[in-house]
Amino acid sequence: MKKLFALEKIKALSYPAFKTLMIIHFLLFFLVILVVSRFHFSIPGFSVKGLYQFPNIWEFFPWVASWFNLFLAIVVIILAGNEFANKTFRQNVIDGLSRNDLIKGKLVLIFTIAVYTFIMVLLAVFIFGLINTKNISFDIIFENSYLILIYFVQAIGYMTLGLLISIIFRNNALSIVMFILYFFPIEPIIRAIFKTEARKFFPIKIISNLTPTPEFLTMTSENSYTNTSGTSSLDFSEIGLLPEKLPLGITVILATGYIGFFIALSTILLNKRNL
Amino acid sequence: METVLKINNLSKNYGNIRAIQDVSFEVKKGEVYGILGPNGSGKTTTLAVIMGVLNANGGNYEWFEKPFSKLSRRRIGALIETPNFYPYLTLWENLKIVAKIKDAPEEDINHALGVANLLKRKHTNFGHLSLGMKQRMSLASVLIGNPEVLVLDEPTNGLDPEGFAEVRNIILSQANEGKTIIIASHILDEVEKVCSHVAILKSGELIANGRVGELLSSEETVFIQSERMDELIGILNDSELTSKVYMAEDDIAVVMNSNYKSTDLSKFCFEKGFPLSKIVVKKQSLEDQFLQLVK
Repeated sequence: MKKLFALEKIKALSYPAFKTLMIIHFLLFFLVILVVSRFHFSIPGFSVKGLYQFPNIWEFFPWVASWFNLFLAIVVIILAGNEFANKTFRQNVIDGLSRNDLIKGKLVLIFTIAVYTFIMVLLAVFIFGLINTKNISFDIIFENSYLILIYFVQAIGYMTLGLLISIIFRNNALSIVMFILYFFPIEPIIRAIFKTEARKFFPIKIISNLTPTPEFLTMTSENSYTNTSGTSSLDFSEIGLLPEKLPLGITVILATGYIGFFIALSTILLNKRNL
Repeated sequence: METVLKINNLSKNYGNIRAIQDVSFEVKKGEVYGILGPNGSGKTTTLAVIMGVLNANGGNYEWFEKPFSKLSRRRIGALIETPNFYPYLTLWENLKIVAKIKDAPEEDINHALGVANLLKRKHTNFGHLSLGMKQRMSLASVLIGNPEVLVLDEPTNGLDPEGFAEVRNIILSQANEGKTIIIASHILDEVEKVCSHVAILKSGELIANGRVGELLSSEETVFIQSERMDELIGILNDSELTSKVYMAEDDIAVVMNSNYKSTDLSKFCFEKGFPLSKIVVKKQSLEDQFLQLVK
């Protein structure tokens, strides 16, 4: 593993596009939370400032960071796709790595990026939370802190899906397009076809539900919709605007199962196909 | 002598196209083994299969008398097809990756770059090199970890005459160190000057293999004509005078055994009742012999 980490470090850190994309990811996340923090909007039961206080911040920051997990998945697609485009996976095997090592290397990369983004969000949570929370106590600070671990699982979920798509298509542009299309509209259309409970169990649905829209925000949007239109025949959950919720524990277990499935399928495909 | 590589009935298809079919041969330790054949004959496919980057459809192969494994890979330095490196990394960084994979010391990197005459370019990005330099870089990467076996696919591809000679000298010096070398090439001169043994492929099938001197040599060939040519060919084939007899357009081409001369052949034919109407002695080029084999 140490060797694979060293290899991925050389490959990624010396790649200008990787550095640029990671800097953009970092800037986008902080830009959003800084811009939102400038709003002084409040209604009874909700204020923007409340989003930056413990324990709400554990829900809000991972949710914002989760928007950019797609970005991290695209970084993984590009790095894995380059290995096919430059035939360097092929050369790595010729030089002495096994095909399983190639997958393990990319998983080490995914885990490292997930740890980086986990630390980034964690630091942001503590900095903003400690600045904005009055009456700080140990209990308030760590209430809901488990949500950041779930965000970590989500980041890994998106990136392993990105890796799988990259191994299937072996072409950066096609992989990125297919990855985005799978999010919208492919999976939502497939979900719409299933008029049963099954629609809750699709991979993107499960993984994106790991960091659902914070409860206080969904309540506000649902209320305001009902208030303006009277009665609603439109099910926002069905069209993916609001999450159809499974219990969080089950969602985490299913997401972990999907991650295992993505990794297993990636390994099988890489072993079966020519390099 | 230890068998370094043993290939048994190896086959590889690309859809309906048979790239190689039932190819079998052995390479012993210390041999410089050429795989010769025209473009599309299956040389690269054979090497890619035995290096584990293509999955075979049939047959099997062993390296060092054992199934191919991660450990055996590290005893081999290989260059297959085009040079494949990270274009955004420098030569040194690219070779560092190779050294890490092979658990080789970093000192090997400078040594390999020196041998390939690329030391001054070590901080240049691979993507900025010319084709010839990329080819040399591949050769440098093959030498990392001081492997026992070198597998080289068209190693002189894209090189100018000077580079061609340099690469040939590198290969010969590695062979003199006792390394086993397997080279795929369609350049006859390269094979004759470098290889001790050769396998000849045509349309994915092995049509001949053995010592280079036996299969391809700049030997004298006697071209003769007489009456009843078909009958004469049979008689010559059974004669101890000849090592090879075949039809070459309107002539019978005869390669003489080393103890006999063309005058002995003329006398032999006359005594057997086949007076010769034509006898021409030619030194046959390697190319002619190769084309004869793959015809």
